[in-house]
Amino acid sequence: MKPALPTSLPRLLVHPWIWRMAWRDSRRERQRLAVFAASIVVGIAALVSIHALRASLERGIALQARELLGSDLQISARLPFDEKARAAFAAASTAADYETNFTTMMTFPSGEARLVQLRLLGGQFPFYGKIATRPADAWPALREQTSPVLFLEPALLDQFGVAIGDSVRLGEADLVISGTVLQTAPRTGRFAGFAPDVYANRAALDATGLLGRTSLAGYHAHLQLPDDAEPSRVAERLNALFPDVNWEIETADSRRDQIGEVLNRFEQFLSLIALFSLVLGAIGVASAMHSQIRRRRQSIAILRCLGLSSRGALAVYFVQAAVLGILATVAGALLGVALHAGIVAWFREDLPVALALLPPAGVILRTASVGFLACLGFALLPLLQVRDIPPLAVLRDNFGGLGRLRLVLRALPVGLFLFALLTLLSILGSTSLQRGLAFPLGLAGVFLLLLLAGQLLIIAARRGAKASPGYLTRQGLANLFRPQNQTLLFVVSLGLGVCLLTLTVLARAQVLRQIAVTESGAGPNLYLVDVQPDQADDVRALLAERQLPVMESAPMVNMRLVSVNGTEVRQLRDEGRVPAWVLRREFRSSYRTTLNETEREIAGQWPPAPWNPNAPIPLSLETGMAEDLNVGLGDRLVVNIQGRTLEAEIVHLREVDWSRLNLNFFMLFPPGVLENAPGFHVITTRLPQDTTSGRLQAALAAKFPNVSAIDLSLILETVRELLGRVGQAVQVLSAFTVVAGIFIMTGIFLNGREQRTHDAVLLRTLGASTRQLRTILCVEFGVLGFLAALTGSLLALGAHVLIARFAFSADPVFPLVSVAVILLGAAALSLLMGGLLSRGVCHAPPLSILRRE
Amino acid sequence: MNSQQTTEPAPAKSEMTAPILAVRGLGKTYTAAGHPLTVLADITFDLAPGAPCAIVGPSGSGKTTLLGLCAGLDRPTTGQVVLDGQHLGDLDEDALAALRNATTGFVFQSFQLLPSLTALENVLVPLELRGVRGAQATALDNLARVGLGDRTDHYPNQLSGGEQQRVALARAFVHRPKILFADEPTGNLDDETSGPIVDMLFDLNATAGTALVLVTHDPELARRAGRVITMRGGRILSDA
Repeated sequence: MKPALPTSLPRLLVHPWIWRMAWRDSRRERQRLAVFAASIVVGIAALVSIHALRASLERGIALQARELLGSDLQISARLPFDEKARAAFAAASTAADYETNFTTMMTFPSGEARLVQLRLLGGQFPFYGKIATRPADAWPALREQTSPVLFLEPALLDQFGVAIGDSVRLGEADLVISGTVLQTAPRTGRFAGFAPDVYANRAALDATGLLGRTSLAGYHAHLQLPDDAEPSRVAERLNALFPDVNWEIETADSRRDQIGEVLNRFEQFLSLIALFSLVLGAIGVASAMHSQIRRRRQSIAILRCLGLSSRGALAVYFVQAAVLGILATVAGALLGVALHAGIVAWFREDLPVALALLPPAGVILRTASVGFLACLGFALLPLLQVRDIPPLAVLRDNFGGLGRLRLVLRALPVGLFLFALLTLLSILGSTSLQRGLAFPLGLAGVFLLLLLAGQLLIIAARRGAKASPGYLTRQGLANLFRPQNQTLLFVVSLGLGVCLLTLTVLARAQVLRQIAVTESGAGPNLYLVDVQPDQADDVRALLAERQLPVMESAPMVNMRLVSVNGTEVRQLRDEGRVPAWVLRREFRSSYRTTLNETEREIAGQWPPAPWNPNAPIPLSLETGMAEDLNVGLGDRLVVNIQGRTLEAEIVHLREVDWSRLNLNFFMLFPPGVLENAPGFHVITTRLPQDTTSGRLQAALAAKFPNVSAIDLSLILETVRELLGRVGQAVQVLSAFTVVAGIFIMTGIFLNGREQRTHDAVLLRTLGASTRQLRTILCVEFGVLGFLAALTGSLLALGAHVLIARFAFSADPVFPLVSVAVILLGAAALSLLMGGLLSRGVCHAPPLSILRRE
Repeated sequence: MNSQQTTEPAPAKSEMTAPILAVRGLGKTYTAAGHPLTVLADITFDLAPGAPCAIVGPSGSGKTTLLGLCAGLDRPTTGQVVLDGQHLGDLDEDALAALRNATTGFVFQSFQLLPSLTALENVLVPLELRGVRGAQATALDNLARVGLGDRTDHYPNQLSGGEQQRVALARAFVHRPKILFADEPTGNLDDETSGPIVDMLFDLNATAGTALVLVTHDPELARRAGRVITMRGGRILSDA
């Protein structure tokens, strides 16, 4: 018997009759399918927007890498460049500009003082990118040799009520503000972002008399290279020419990588949210198809009676799922592109580079395709059921289905395909394979736990219903385990949404708590840096005069690590035996005999017994650094202090709590070693809460103009502001997950509506009141919503404990009010939807329903 | 004839032609709550091409199960069914579907129209599955024959029970099946509506030369079939 339709699935899928039938069959279900499809629209929109944002950032950074650095090559040093170095730079470049910068206090006419980053520039830098000033085109005035020129950021003028032409005090000089810099030059200093930039020319700097008295000055050479020069080659050549200097050389590429590294962490978190949203959306599509197949059971059986093969029936519904997926993918991609444009516009000021509103087309296409495949993969799980519907279902529908084992075995390849797809997506959005694998594994774990919770809920409802004394409660609970209930789907979708939202709220609270602890604790909140040894007593006296405690006062000496147990650090790094930062870093070390309250002794003894002056100097090393260097007690390190080398032996290991902002050091020496090395003192104090550092800063600036007062509360304020904006972005995207969840919930309610209406009509016919019917629905959806949300919250709390312990190395914070608000909010939402459902159900005229039976 | 006494093939009613349906030693056992439950045992009979026959019996006697097995909607536990010369046991699911499309028509008690298809589209389905060209004219003609030429664009829920069953009849005969299986075709209809339906059923059976297997509770309807197989407890009580 030769059938007219093809027998192979691929050929069936392109057969016109299959498409016609899929179209006809969907007529009555399109609205319902659209509600579920909305969830995948949201999922794909989140996925596309996040991946597009990432691609836009990468492209923007790549295109504007030179603008980010302002030059082709930047050489940074702690000492001024000598003639030989300047000659080498001149030979290698077509143009060079030199910058000297340091932090210092600026005093305003009101008497208030503010820490600023003073930058002496020649007027040529930046070679790439624009500087916008007011008055316009005033920037080259920095080349002026004789009269002082000073540019401030406009925010400073606003904050202290000064205008162009007013005077400010810097060191020993009162200088007139020449103009403002609207768009600043690429930043170089350590305090970039925390201390506003102030630009000065040589004449202005000389007038302040500060340069000779600061120990924190940084020196930078900005080079513009010939077009055919490879910046990294030039850097290598300079390193080879000057092997003994401590220079840090940056190219546009290395600056790009550095920025990319910072952005990566943020993007990874967003990728995780995108993945959650996509999975939730795909669950929505799977639910849509599951419900569709269940509702079309009779139709499928009739078609089978009329001679359609099981493969043909599968093809009809596969086409429906594919069309649904394609439409949702297109809508999701468009929404994602719009979202990308919105984010770029909203965060324009905060992004390091200018971004195009439209993301690269390739990324949209690639991401949307993966989203579509995930959507189709999830839809396949319920679609496979089509093949189990026999034509006999036309006559009676009580035949046994496949065994549980066979069902699992059949779904296994689809499950593996989905896991592989999500893993691929996760790896694409992640920097390391390990993290890329961790996301889908974590997701699978949460998913399985939610499924388990759903199963337990069904069992508990069955027992609870039996034990329940009242009929209304019993009926409400019975709805949770009745045949064809949607309890599992509900628990997974609502639980997943609540879990993610709670997790973001918890993570934010954790970071805010870290800041609050730092602020409100007994630790210091004002750091006085760059106190010269001969000023230390006077500064301490000034604090005492103002009845402020001297919390810590430590000498600080800069040094670099040269070798570990006789092997040069450069070689160890090249062999991958120490991290790169060990070589780059300039360690600020100190000397003292006691441990402070944030340190804990791990091994050895401090202070060390008197040592033989001819033997290596005893050293106390922080445990984290010891682990990175793979050293322990008895190992030897050689350090370089501005050209002089010292050999030290590790005799003591300390653990430091870096989250407390005390004066802590990787390397501690005993007194008697570093006293004569060039360095400065840092003195910390604590201002009473709710007092500002303005007056003290003004007094310090007047008496000790070289001393920088770093107000921790101002820095923390900046961090908090940044966190607020990042938090907003994260919460907006988390909301996507919630929206996807709400669409699924709406779909579930719509699915259950007919069954509920039928029950309600029967109960109404038997005399049940509207109040009784509402109570039954409220019990069902109240219990379901509360327990699903509770499961999601508990999973989030569990994950939060792990994240706090391992990522923050801190005790987890539990903002239980916020968690409870989300939990109760989700439960209330479920209850509300149950209530809305009951309106329709209770108002349905019984006769019209019964006549349909 | 009572088939309980013999497992041998029953003689065909017509000695001249091969039966359209031959049932031999058919049995069906389900497992319910861990216990085997035999709902059909040792059924043997033949049906000649174009011949009508009614299967009657009380509820639970196995009538619908027998109809399902004869039409290849389910697999027997024992015995065999030969439909239009094909041993159903030798066919896979897809081949069974193709055989149903080519050979059989169905009319069900609850009409079983596809709810999202119009009356015309419902009638078209068997022809479309065969890939018949110009199917629409044939379908319209069949709808006109059952008196629904003006209701072609109506969906099932816009039609009365009687009208739905007439659409089902048009669909059942549209592809000229060799055998029609009807399961309580008037079970959901009142006397006034069911009369014309029954007339149409037998009229189409006679004019199209389609064999008819009619499961019914209605003695009057069974008598019109001429041959009546009476069942009880999953076995044939009489075949006359």
